[in-house]
Amino acid sequence: MEKLITRRDLLKKTAVLAVGTTILMNKPLDLWAWGAGKGKKSKVILIRNQQLFADGKQADATIAGQMLDEALRTLTGQKDTEKAWASIVKPQDVVGIKTNVWNKFPTPEILNDIVKERVIQAGVGADNISVKDRGVLDDPVFQQATALINIRPMRTHAWSGVGSCIKNYIMFSPKPASYHDDSCASLAALYDLPFVKGKTKLCILVMFNPLFHHRTAQDVSEEYMWKYSGLILGFDPVAVDSVGLRIIQGKRNAFFGEDKPLNPPAKHIALADTRYHLGNADPAKIDLVKLGWDEEAFV
Amino acid sequence: MRNYFLLLMMSCMNLSAVVLEKFPVDSLPEEFSSYQITERLNYTGKELYDYINGGAELYISYGLVSMTGCKYTGENLPQITVEIYEMTSPANAYGVYTQSRDKEEQDYGQGSQSFSDFILFWKDCYFVIVNTQEVVPESEKAIKYLAGVIDKSIPKKGNIPAIINCLPKENLVPAGFLYFHHYIWLNAYYFIADYNILNIDEKTDAVSAKYGESDARSYLLLIEYPDETKTEKAYKQLQAKYAPELKSDEPFLQLEDKTWFSVWKKGKKLGAIFNGVSREKTEQLYKTTIINF
Repeated sequence: MEKLITRRDLLKKTAVLAVGTTILMNKPLDLWAWGAGKGKKSKVILIRNQQLFADGKQADATIAGQMLDEALRTLTGQKDTEKAWASIVKPQDVVGIKTNVWNKFPTPEILNDIVKERVIQAGVGADNISVKDRGVLDDPVFQQATALINIRPMRTHAWSGVGSCIKNYIMFSPKPASYHDDSCASLAALYDLPFVKGKTKLCILVMFNPLFHHRTAQDVSEEYMWKYSGLILGFDPVAVDSVGLRIIQGKRNAFFGEDKPLNPPAKHIALADTRYHLGNADPAKIDLVKLGWDEEAFV
Repeated sequence: MRNYFLLLMMSCMNLSAVVLEKFPVDSLPEEFSSYQITERLNYTGKELYDYINGGAELYISYGLVSMTGCKYTGENLPQITVEIYEMTSPANAYGVYTQSRDKEEQDYGQGSQSFSDFILFWKDCYFVIVNTQEVVPESEKAIKYLAGVIDKSIPKKGNIPAIINCLPKENLVPAGFLYFHHYIWLNAYYFIADYNILNIDEKTDAVSAKYGESDARSYLLLIEYPDETKTEKAYKQLQAKYAPELKSDEPFLQLEDKTWFSVWKKGKKLGAIFNGVSREKTEQLYKTTIINF
């Protein structure tokens, strides 16, 4: 049976391992995930480019493409971009690119286009590719998909703590609200749905201008976004989200000048590891490779 | 014939009820300045998922009745959205407000906070948000106007939950407290547990509060249960899971991280202090709290 955790439990672990208590305040995830999967580390790439927004409000598509390609080469260990994409999708694949269309903060269209273009370049027919969010269950391409690419922007969320790659699959459920219980604790179970299971080839958490705070559930204010100019790539959605979460928490603490935990905590990310064994949330089990601009990276 | 007469009577009664009952949304002008209503919003209970997906749970956790409102557009002007959340009680409207504000102002309703793009306030059973997509002089003026119109249309005032009055004023961080009765919000300021360790539900009144400066912060939690049996049960549960070493005649315990913890009960109320910076300060907060119980 899963152990229910109190802060005191974590303090006792902290004392045993002599870790500073600030970790508890800033990154409870580090501790929640202790003792989880003993398997191999998850490789995660964080790439940033200070020039991404050099021309103003819009991200530069060329730079975004270069960032994506470089991150994928590093993730796959391929020196050649085409080979890197070819290791993700095969010409015979049917590919669903699960984007996010929430009108206040969607996945940038330039990234949807770049990913689709790269998948086509890897030999997949345009008719066998669909970029979609709502309505994926009724989409003929998604219905036959053999490969999924998960892409969405990082933001705080009024009920699940954050909206990131794990949560992005909620539209694969015919009843999304059935995953709301206990502040969306069971979101990782989405990855076990037959529609999805074993098909995710790549997770891309967009950190171009993440939302690190909101005043109300619908709030997306530029005051609480910053040009982080980054992308996080990985095969493991839990590890990708875990890295993104640490960045968001770091920014919150820096911006507000005090420990400012997410309200509510993004416990679904820790539980994706400890309860659902979907991947690694524990930073000690994440092989994080940082590329490019490193100022105020927060990880 | 008699049935027909009764039906007619009932219809008339219902009609008069509809006519008499005015909602804040009815006060919104169809058009003003260069703005006009281009979309109406009307969601009841869990229909709110259609509007804000999972974010709706925030309002549902505070007993959402409905959300009504509208969107205003004007030529070459940023869109303005008005959302009026009707909650089951003034306490719940106040609770949602305490989730959202980080400063207490009194410009609208019974408590408000204004930003250049955003105004939120609560009054009676209503929590209101008026915001503009972008800030231009016209839209900034418009959101103030609309907030004022809605404020005036709500005739009654609601009571602030009584448990708020138990919070000691000294060293309380301005706007640093949150009223709730759903266990999810227990960790809003400070992680305590990843489950409902204190049996918080819709029949409990709870408030979390921040005390002291950011580098010496303590957290006070107060909960009032419907009866003393429930208080006793929650107290024992917290003590057993969080601080089994604690003795009833000595409600202060220093934890592994050198901070102080305290939990106590009196009547239907339970209090707990987390992250106390010293025994002296924890004891002081305890004493100033318990005299309010």
